[in-house]
Order: sequence, then C-alpha cells, then structure tokens
Amino acid sequence: MKRMKRNLVLFASSLLLLLLWQMGAVILDSQILLPGVGPVLSALLSLTKEAPFTLNLFSTVLRAFESFIIIVLSATMLGIAAGRNSWFSLMLKPFVVVLKAVPVMSIILLAFIWFSSGTVPLFSAFLMGFPVMFVQIEQGVLHLDKNLDQMCDIYDFSPRMKIHHFIIPSLMPFFLTGARTALSMVWKVVIAAEVLTVPQYGVGSRMHLAQVQLETEKVLSWTLLTILLTALGDLLFDAIVLLSVRVKKAKDARRVPCVL
Amino acid sequence: MRFVEITKRYGDNVVFDHFSLEIPHQTILSVVGPSGEGKTTLLHMAAKLLEPDSGKVVKELSEEGPVSYLFQEPRLLEKSNVFSNVELALHKAYENKKERSEIALHYLDLVGLKESLSLYPAQLSGGMRQRVAIARSFAHPSNLMLLDEPFQSLDIRLRYDLISSFETLWKEAPKTTLFVTHDPKEALLLGDSVCCLGNPEKPKLLVKIDIPREARNISDATLLSYESQIVESLVND
Repeated sequence: MKRMKRNLVLFASSLLLLLLWQMGAVILDSQILLPGVGPVLSALLSLTKEAPFTLNLFSTVLRAFESFIIIVLSATMLGIAAGRNSWFSLMLKPFVVVLKAVPVMSIILLAFIWFSSGTVPLFSAFLMGFPVMFVQIEQGVLHLDKNLDQMCDIYDFSPRMKIHHFIIPSLMPFFLTGARTALSMVWKVVIAAEVLTVPQYGVGSRMHLAQVQLETEKVLSWTLLTILLTALGDLLFDAIVLLSVRVKKAKDARRVPCVL
Repeated sequence: MRFVEITKRYGDNVVFDHFSLEIPHQTILSVVGPSGEGKTTLLHMAAKLLEPDSGKVVKELSEEGPVSYLFQEPRLLEKSNVFSNVELALHKAYENKKERSEIALHYLDLVGLKESLSLYPAQLSGGMRQRVAIARSFAHPSNLMLLDEPFQSLDIRLRYDLISSFETLWKEAPKTTLFVTHDPKEALLLGDSVCCLGNPEKPKLLVKIDIPREARNISDATLLSYESQIVESLVND
C-alpha cells in the first residue's frame, strides 16, 4: 500500500512536470524557444529510427561505463591505502583538493588540448568522479570500528574472514554512497564533454549538432534520452545492490543448520 | 595465571607499581575498583594486548594460547547472523564444518538462542546480543577468559539472568577467569575470590569467597558482609 502510494505520488509529480512544460510551450508559442511535449516525443521517435542512433547511444554508455569502472577500481584501492596510511593520504590530499575545486569546464577544455575528442569525456569524467568516491572510501576505512577489529583479532579471525565478514560489510555503505554519486556525475560530465569536443559518435555530439541547427526538439529529445539513461543506470545499480544483499542473506541462511 | 611485579604507567600516572596478583587455575577472580585504577589495563595485559613496563604475566601451559574476551559491549558483526557470529570464532580451531556447527549450536542452545539463529544483531534485544557474545566466548576454544564489565549496560533483572547463564556455561567448561566489574554484587556472585584495586603496589583487599557458587544468594548475610567489606575498601583511601 505504501509502495503504491509512493508510485502514485511519483506519477502525479511527473505528470505535473509535463503539464508545466506543455503550458510553457503554449505560452511561448515558439518551436525554437520551447517546443511542446508532442513534437519532442515525435522527434525522439524519429531519432530512434535513424541509423547511427544505437552507435551514438552505445558510445556514450561505453564511455560512462568505462570511466565508472576505472573510478570504482582506482578510488577503492587508493582510498583504502589512504585510509590505512596517513602519509599516503597526506600525499594525495593536494591532488584531491585540486580535483574537487577545478571547474568541470576547465578540465574538459584542458583535456581537449591533450587528448583526442573520444578520450576527453572518459578522462574528464574520471577526474570529476574520482575524488567523490575516493573520499568516501577513505572515510569508510577511517571509520572502521576499532573495537570490532580487536574482537576479530582476539577470536582468531583469519585475514580472509576479517575482510569478508568485517571490513567489506563495514565499507559497503561508504562504497555505495560514493559509487552512486560518482555514477550520476559521470553521466553529466561525459555528455558535457561530448557537447564541447564533438566526437564522431555520442549523445552529446548529437545534442551539439541539433543546437547549432536550432533543432530544439532534438536537443530536448536527446536530453530526455540522457535522463532515461541516468534513471536506468540508477535502477541497474539499485538492482545489483538488492541482488547482492539477497544473495548474502541466502548464503547466511544456508550456513545456519536446521535444528528442528 | 600470575601478574608478577608488574609496573605500568601512563605518562606520570602510575597505575601499577611492582604489583603482584595470582588467579588460581580454573577459578574466577573478580576485580573491583574505581575507574582509572587499572582494571582494563590488567585485562589487556592478560590478553597480551598491552605489555607491562616491567614485570611479567606468567601463565600455566594450559592457559597459554587463545583467550576468550567478553567485552562491555557485545561487539557482534552486524551483517552476520547469530549463528555466524559464534561459528566464525571457531574457524581457526576446528577445520571441520560440522564440528564447528555443533559447537556453536550447543552454546547458543545453552544461552537460550536456539530459536534465533537466523536473526541479525539489529533484530536482537540488548540482552540477546550479550547472550550471543557469551556463547561466542565459551565456544571459542581457550583456557583463559577475560570479562570486561560485560553486564554493566543491562537492566538489573537481565543482568542477573545473564550472570546465571554465564555460571551455567562456566560450570560446564571451567576456565581461568579474570572478571572486571564496578559492581561488588556481581563480583561476589561469580568470583571465587574478589580483589579490590586502588593501590598501585598491592590489592587493597583480596578475599576468598567460601560459599559454593550455586548456593550464593544476593541477600545472604555472609555475602552482604563481604559486600560491605568491599564497599568500605573502595570508599576509604
């Protein structure tokens, strides 16, 4: 019941958003300033029928996925090392502070000077997402419960058991927060970099071309697509998390002997 | 186990100064004392988590090796269920999964948690969590048991229930035990002897309790007289 109510509220607020958009379009009465819902949806439909559509979409998804994986792996490893070694953390601090403070556009423009247009989105997304995830993992390691650590040592936990039953579960909330934030950042930066650097294929490149040709309905169609992609990415992420929680619980339940 | 001529200081604060104390094999020594008088330091030295500045901790051959430590708080793994929390402490000693399982079950049964094996710590009450910790400490194969005020955060009824659970388990497998507490009553109910700290050089009071553990009653006149001795020793310098 609660879930149904929640879905109903979500649906109603989405409908309100569409209504506001349509009202704006009617008031402005200009296809260039703000096309209505109908023309945008039909533009979206025709986009999906165009030949390089899948390639454009796939290129963007691949760039986002690649940078996300690189962020997760590198930030996890370096975050753990920094959490365990204060000297290493201090050494990385200037890099992290600079990366957190530099505007996205500066990174994209600089990367465009250094790399080819296809590599810029990947590189920029990595630089923007890395500090977010790194800081979370480092904090996670710093917040590991020293009392539990002592308990594991006293009760003779092997390093493998300690990692499996104490460290990973303790780091998981920090990991999930970092990964979720980095993922949403990656989508935005990849598309922004594609808009600025216009690689041969990519959602951002198509947006840029549509904007140059004043095809606002196409810009909005591609924007809608990116919103869908982000939502899909978040859903997939949540599904993986839920699945792993269920697998862990099922595994735990299998360990418990039947006493009846 | 014996603490022989141990000295331990934290900066200018001398907690122990050539202090000696003996816990006879397979008995419980209760240690009572105000905060900051070295109760936890004593436990940490017994567990080899801390080294004395001088002097030594001598253990009998049968007391060497792993220790069981019952902490103030249960210290359970939040993402592991009740059964796993006990069974994981047995991995090093028992390679056989079935054997581990049986031992964990046995102790969880003794503390009355056989029906709660699949529950996670977040689903347990404070008393149940501490019961899991007690089961874990007895299931863990050790000959030395260290208790750091494990009942202090519980309400009075639960506290005496758990003391009784502890007593049952201890009777089944007696281990040399050092029991640190603030509460003279707890100390008297469990200890074969009670020691009061407060003087860095020697125990302020060391009494042997002659009443059998199972016959001890909190309102017993002899126990009450022991209690008043302890309180007097703690209050007076």
